[in-house]
Formats: sequence, C-alpha cells, structure tokens
Amino acid sequence: MGAPARLLLLLPTTTYRAAAFVEAARRLDVELTVGTDHRSVFAGDQPERLLTLDFARRDRAVAQARAFAAAHPVAAVVGVDDETAILAAAIAAALDLPHNPVAAALAARDKHLQRTAMARAGVPVPAFRRHRLGEPAAAAAAAAPYPCVLKPLCLSASRGVIRADTPEAFVAARAVLAEILAETHADDYLVEAFVPGPEAALEGLLEDGRLQPLALFDKPDPLDGPYFEETIYVTPSRLPPGVQRELIACAGHAASALGLVTGPVHVELRHNSRGPWLIELGARPIGGRCSAALRFGPGPGALSLEELLLRRALGLPVPSVEREVAASGVMMIPVPGAGVLRAVRGVEAARAVPGIEDVAITAHPGQRLVPPPRGAQYPGFLFARGESPAEVETALRRAHALLRFELATNGE
Amino acid sequence: MTPEIRITAEPVDGRRCRFVVSTPLFEGGARRFGSPGEAQGSPLAEALFAVPGVTEVLVAGPSLTVTKDGPEPWKVTGKLVGAAVRAAVAAGGPLVAPAAPASAADDEALYGRVADLFEAEINPAIARHGGFVELLDVQDGVVMLRMGGGCQGCGMADVTLRQGIEAALRQRVPEVAGIVDATDHASGTNPYVTASKK
Repeated sequence: MGAPARLLLLLPTTTYRAAAFVEAARRLDVELTVGTDHRSVFAGDQPERLLTLDFARRDRAVAQARAFAAAHPVAAVVGVDDETAILAAAIAAALDLPHNPVAAALAARDKHLQRTAMARAGVPVPAFRRHRLGEPAAAAAAAAPYPCVLKPLCLSASRGVIRADTPEAFVAARAVLAEILAETHADDYLVEAFVPGPEAALEGLLEDGRLQPLALFDKPDPLDGPYFEETIYVTPSRLPPGVQRELIACAGHAASALGLVTGPVHVELRHNSRGPWLIELGARPIGGRCSAALRFGPGPGALSLEELLLRRALGLPVPSVEREVAASGVMMIPVPGAGVLRAVRGVEAARAVPGIEDVAITAHPGQRLVPPPRGAQYPGFLFARGESPAEVETALRRAHALLRFELATNGE
Repeated sequence: MTPEIRITAEPVDGRRCRFVVSTPLFEGGARRFGSPGEAQGSPLAEALFAVPGVTEVLVAGPSLTVTKDGPEPWKVTGKLVGAAVRAAVAAGGPLVAPAAPASAADDEALYGRVADLFEAEINPAIARHGGFVELLDVQDGVVMLRMGGGCQGCGMADVTLRQGIEAALRQRVPEVAGIVDATDHASGTNPYVTASKK
C-alpha cells in the first residue's frame, strides 16, 4: 500500500476558511501541506506541512511549489478564494494535475475580463464600461447609464461597490471608490447598468466543464444600493422552478464562457422580466463562514462543502452531492456602524431562538469595524436550519434583532 | 435550596462545544473521557455520555468541552448536556473521579515531556506572533491544551495547531495519542491575524 496522497491547500493568512478546510483534510486519509503567503513560525520545523509561497509573484510561487513537489509529490492543489484559485491553477498546470486554465481563473478574478468574455459568448450581463481614475470624473459620469453601479475590478465582499442614480451621485461615488482603490494601487474601475430584480447565489461544482449545481440560495434582503452589503442567504430557493432552471443554465453558460472546467464556482445572479442576469462568477467556493450552511448527503455521514471539494480534487469517492433535506441559511451580520468593537450582547438569547444553530462572532473586542462601502469584514455569522426557507429566514432575523453591538466611536 | 446553576454554551465548531458552568465541576486539574467505559465512576461524565452523539468529554475547573459526532445541532445537544450537568450536580458528591493511578503515572511522564517541548520549542516559536500555548493536562496519552495571546482567535490558529504544534508533538513525543484544543477562540482580544477576505 502506498503513502497517502498529498494535498497542497493554498490558504491566504486572512481567510475565514482555514479551520473548515483543515478540518475537512483531517477527515481524509491525506497528507496535508498548507501553502500560505506569510511564513508560519513552524515552517522551518515542518517543511512538509507548511510551505511559504510568494502569492504576489505567481511565477515565483509556481517555482517554489514545483521545487517542493519534486521532493514531496502532490496529488491535488486547491485554492480557497479568488486569488488562490489563480495560483492553484498555475501550480496544478506546472505539476501536470487537473486544473482550470490560468486565463480562465484570471478572468473569473477580474470583473472587466469576466464581463468581456461573457458578453462575447452571449451570456446576459449588464452593459458595462471600464474607466480609469485618471479620466475626468464628469466625462465618465456623462457616459454612464443610469441607474448604474461603480465597481472595483478585483475586490470582494462588495467592497467599493456603489450605486449612482445621477451624474452628481456618480461623481461622489467615484471619489469614495478612488480612496478605496488607492489602498490597492488600482487605477481602473467598472461602471455597469444597475439590474433590478431579486438576487440569488449558486454554489456549483464543475467537472469536465459541466456544471453540477450544489445549492441555490435566495437573498431575501433587496440589494438595491447605494451599497451592496450581503446579509441573508437561504436555500432551497423559493423562486419558481422555471426561474431556478434559467439561473442554473445561465451560470453554466457563464462558466463555459470563461473557460472554467473544474472545481467550485460561486455565482451571483439576478432575475427579472427579461430573464436571468449574470452579476458575478468566482472560481471559488462560497466565502466567509457561509459554507457551514451546507451539508451533503443524509445523516451522520453528511459531508461539509470543504470535504466534498477536497474529495473531488483528490479523486476520492463522493457519496452524494445532494444537499440535505432541511432548509438552511446564514446571515452575514451587517456591520452595525463605524467604531471599535467593545462587546457583543445578546449572543445567548440569539442562540436560543428556535431554528438557530450557531452564532459565530468573528470580530474581536478592540477590532475596528468599517461599514460598507469601505469595509470587508463581517462582525460574525448566524446559522439556522428549519423545515422551510421561510422558517429559516424568520429565525435569522429574530436572532439578529437580539444582538447588540457596543462600539466605541471617535472620542470615546 | 440549591442555588441556580448557570451554564454558558460556546460552540467551537460543529463537533465541539465549550460549556462554562457557574459552579466548579472538577478541581483536580483537567480530566478527559474518550469513551463511556472511561467515564465509569465519574457521575458527570457518565451522564454526559448518555447524551446521544457525545464522543468525548474534557472537564477542567468550571468548564466542559464536549465533542459529538452526529447531525444534531448544538442547540439540541447543548440542552441535553445542560440537563445532564444539572442532574449530576444536584445528586451531590464528587462529579469526577481522579485519573486511574496506573494511567496517571504514564501520563505524568508524558506531561513532563510535552511541557518541556512546549517550553523549549513551541512557545518560543509562537511567541514571535504574540501567542502562547498552555498545557492543561495529559490523560490517557491525550494532550489537552489551550492557546492564548495572538493565537486566540487568530484566523490561522488551526493551521498552527494541526500543522505545527500537533506535528511537532507526534514527531518528538510519539506516545501522544491525540490533542484536544480547549481554546475559547471567540474571546480572543488580540489575534495575530484577523480574517477579512470574503
């Protein structure tokens, strides 16, 4: 019997996903190597288990991974977010392992590349245009369709995404966006037509270019701007079956348009009288702690999303890709305001709400909370399960109403 | 009249939950129970293993860390745990028996070796990120520890624990049968890394 296969798991140090993926790997008969962008204090002592990679310089990271794999053969490379999905594709290509084309992963990361490829392939996307911050704001405002949405090309968690209904609002939004982009040294941004209608999120898995839908989430809170802070996700969807089929087909079309062929996709879509609209597609699983809302297969042997993804990546059997029967949901707790978190009250009361399974406060006392459009950190997550999506949504709202965030604002 | 017992539940993840009880449960350090058989003679542990799905119990002072296997959410299992704790306390008498002497002797030797490793290698390493790890106890070869400082609540704490600390323990002290992390990460006030990306 040979040695267990080795998994190279790429984890940015600021990810929410470390615990879920490490725990999933521990459940498998697999040697785990964690590749991170900052050197672990144990990297010297455990070189087979902890690998430092230069995430900012892809060629260098690929060379580092290739050198590592020469001594410790790797069976699969898995990224957990937009950035590491690109690096995973590049490393897997260098190691001759199954992978997405790097160009496809890059297109999934960049909203302009993504829109361009999708529009060319006939995927319904909002009208869009790329602008540079160096251009006069008034000229960009004059060219915009209204209502419109200004977006950074490569930030996540709706950071910097702002709706503008008038040229004056456009100029103001652009000024805010410029401040955010200055932190990332980016010069370009996207302006696209605002698409009205309910939004949904599809979690899916690609195999040989075919999309296997895993879960379709409704987002019952309207995302009409001016900012687009995500809150509640509930599955199964309550949208009509025909609409659900259209959304799934649209997502599959979009993945093909980008050239993605394998691994997870997280797709944001809208639907209105004109049909489905592709808002964004990421070559990654659902973010934050939200994956805890998903379980696959029945009973005690149910798989987490992470275990399912790792099993697929390693070519191990997957007993079921069918989501559990129960309805489930998660609330990304909205940032309650700007300030330094002092305490969170009402957690026990929130946990006691029927249907609530967990209240995870991820912000720590002393942490500065930054609301949208500048912030990218949720103070925590609420999880619920129930017999129906409506029951789950009600539980999440009731629990959230019981939480009290104490913040120290300026001068306190 | 028996004073009211307050119990706070702090789920660590889907499998583990820490309970803090307003009355001491075990003042002889920490004790781990990995099976119903090991729980025999300790009324609190016996009661907890009667709760469906419970696979491991760690008792230390006023706190319990319970591990379960099964789909029931902590909301359901936690209520049963709470009832078991209250019933055991109400029955009076010692809740947890001291560790068996034979096993205790082996564990004491193991404790010393693990403590030496923590002092000489583990803690100096994680101190570079403002963290530390505290050895709570060793029972039946299982190391019980708690992380603090920059490790408590850190987004990479699981990577440090599993890929660094646990790996070092298994290499240097191969008799170690497992690790139980009793850290309350939600209470960390100064984590080295705070999660931020979606």
